[in-house]
Amino acid sequence: MAFEAKFMEMGAEDVLRCAQDHKARGWRFVQLLCTNTEDGIDVQYTYMKDETIENWTVKSVKKGESIPSITDYFLAAFVFENESHDLFGIDIQGIAIDFQGRFYDVSVPEPMTVISPAQKAAREKAAKLAAAKAAKEKADAAPAADAELEAKLAGMDPEKAAKVRAAMEAKAKKAAAAQEQAAPSADAELEAKLAGMDPEKAAKVRAAMEAKKAREAAKAAPEGKGE
Amino acid sequence: MGKATVIPFGPQHPVLPEPLHLDLVVEDEKVVEAIPQIGFVHRGLEKLVETRDYNQFVYVVERICGICAFGHSMGYAETVESLMGIEIPDRAKMLRVIWHELSRVHSHILWMGLAADAFGFESLFMHCWRLRERVLDLFEATTGGRVIFSVVKVGGVVRDIDDDQLKRFVDVLEGIKDEYRQICDVFLTDRSVKNRTVGVGVISHDDALALSMVGPFVRASGVKQDVRLLRKAGYDMLDGFETITASDGDCYARAKVRALEVLQSIDIIEEMIRKLVPGEIAVAVKGNPADGAEACNVLEQPRGECYYYARGNGSKNLERMRIRTPTSQNLAGMTTALAGCDLADVNMIVLTIDPCISCTER
Repeated sequence: MAFEAKFMEMGAEDVLRCAQDHKARGWRFVQLLCTNTEDGIDVQYTYMKDETIENWTVKSVKKGESIPSITDYFLAAFVFENESHDLFGIDIQGIAIDFQGRFYDVSVPEPMTVISPAQKAAREKAAKLAAAKAAKEKADAAPAADAELEAKLAGMDPEKAAKVRAAMEAKAKKAAAAQEQAAPSADAELEAKLAGMDPEKAAKVRAAMEAKKAREAAKAAPEGKGE
Repeated sequence: MGKATVIPFGPQHPVLPEPLHLDLVVEDEKVVEAIPQIGFVHRGLEKLVETRDYNQFVYVVERICGICAFGHSMGYAETVESLMGIEIPDRAKMLRVIWHELSRVHSHILWMGLAADAFGFESLFMHCWRLRERVLDLFEATTGGRVIFSVVKVGGVVRDIDDDQLKRFVDVLEGIKDEYRQICDVFLTDRSVKNRTVGVGVISHDDALALSMVGPFVRASGVKQDVRLLRKAGYDMLDGFETITASDGDCYARAKVRALEVLQSIDIIEEMIRKLVPGEIAVAVKGNPADGAEACNVLEQPRGECYYYARGNGSKNLERMRIRTPTSQNLAGMTTALAGCDLADVNMIVLTIDPCISCTER
């Protein structure tokens, strides 16, 4: 049997039952940790026996909600429960050695719940990346839709399938033409830009472009160097 | 029985190199209750994970403690590797074990020196620390550092140890072993040491389990608990070793466990060097930990089991990094050991749990 770490969830009402159960089965308390999330604070209890670690999380504990202390079963938890109170503002009831908020002398109350600009930026970036990934997956799925349509057409009456194909091609052409009309060509765009420029400068740009075109045409023409 | 008086112990005290405060409730010369207080040097390093990416954070965790520096970087890197599903080369795992066990040797010898100083055995203190210098020289030769090593990275290690250095490693360790046996003999047999440690601050086997204690503190009470025996992260390449335990649960037993663990660690290093396989020392790491992914890990630090937890959020920065150090887990055991002791024994009991306040105040 190898080292195994398990992650599980429980409700705040199960905290004591979980501690009692683990104590009765000979597990030992490893630690308690809090994680600040957008929905509240996750409180995680860790127990270990032999080669297995179990992490039990109470998800999204809100301000004002209280959690019972497990120090009646595991005295070692008093350090972490006081820490959770001082750094995260978790209200833990009945701690065996309760420092009443003076375990850590902090200048900012509940400092670990302050969402720093760096953390906020990291979360926004992660959300953007996740959105981009989802969009890419959707785009990748599009060719699969074409293949599905082809399979459908193959199963149809050939005459009907030809008609459907012709209709689809006509639709695609129409869409392409509409797109071309909607998006001005590069030349038209350039002309619009030149019209907005100083006339003298525009004339120079036009001359330079014509010279460039002539150079390219000369390069493309076969060279008459035969003797 | 006299009137109860509260005597403040620390945070500035000759026996404590770091700030720990104890409110000792005493009646005559007996301590009836001890209430620990920390928080004088809390640095908020776990919060720093928001502004340092997961590669940079290796160097932050190293700075949690000047003695467990290598262990913290190793434990953190293993956790992130587990979070991202990275398998590192065998040679990297073995090099990590070599340096980690060397950290245990230097940590335990340092502790023995401090303990000798606490019970007034100055020459023993000097011999212990003289020997420790040679261990630090080995670190300096192979990593370039004596306190902060910066050789671990996510994906492996950044420096290899060549064959010449390995040969020197073995030679130096053999020399240390001989000298250490003499020091160890004095430490474990001298009457003046025993007078201060035997029968002091006893924790029974059942109490040790109930208080969820870790490290040499719990092993001295006869509990076979050592997460190196999980045989992971390089320790699976060893032939196997027995956990060193003692049964009395007093200060002497705790000293004895640490003293014998030094020799065991030297044996582990020598075995690892013999078995060291050639090959790469790191793998390339790409991408970021996935959003919502979480991983945990345990590592046997010199002071006991250390727990690491990491949660990703899809970016280069972790959402949460947690390091539960051995000392925070042993504070409950320490208060229990102090209850009922003589006032004069408080310093020995506090020292024999080998408290590391800078670890506790991450």
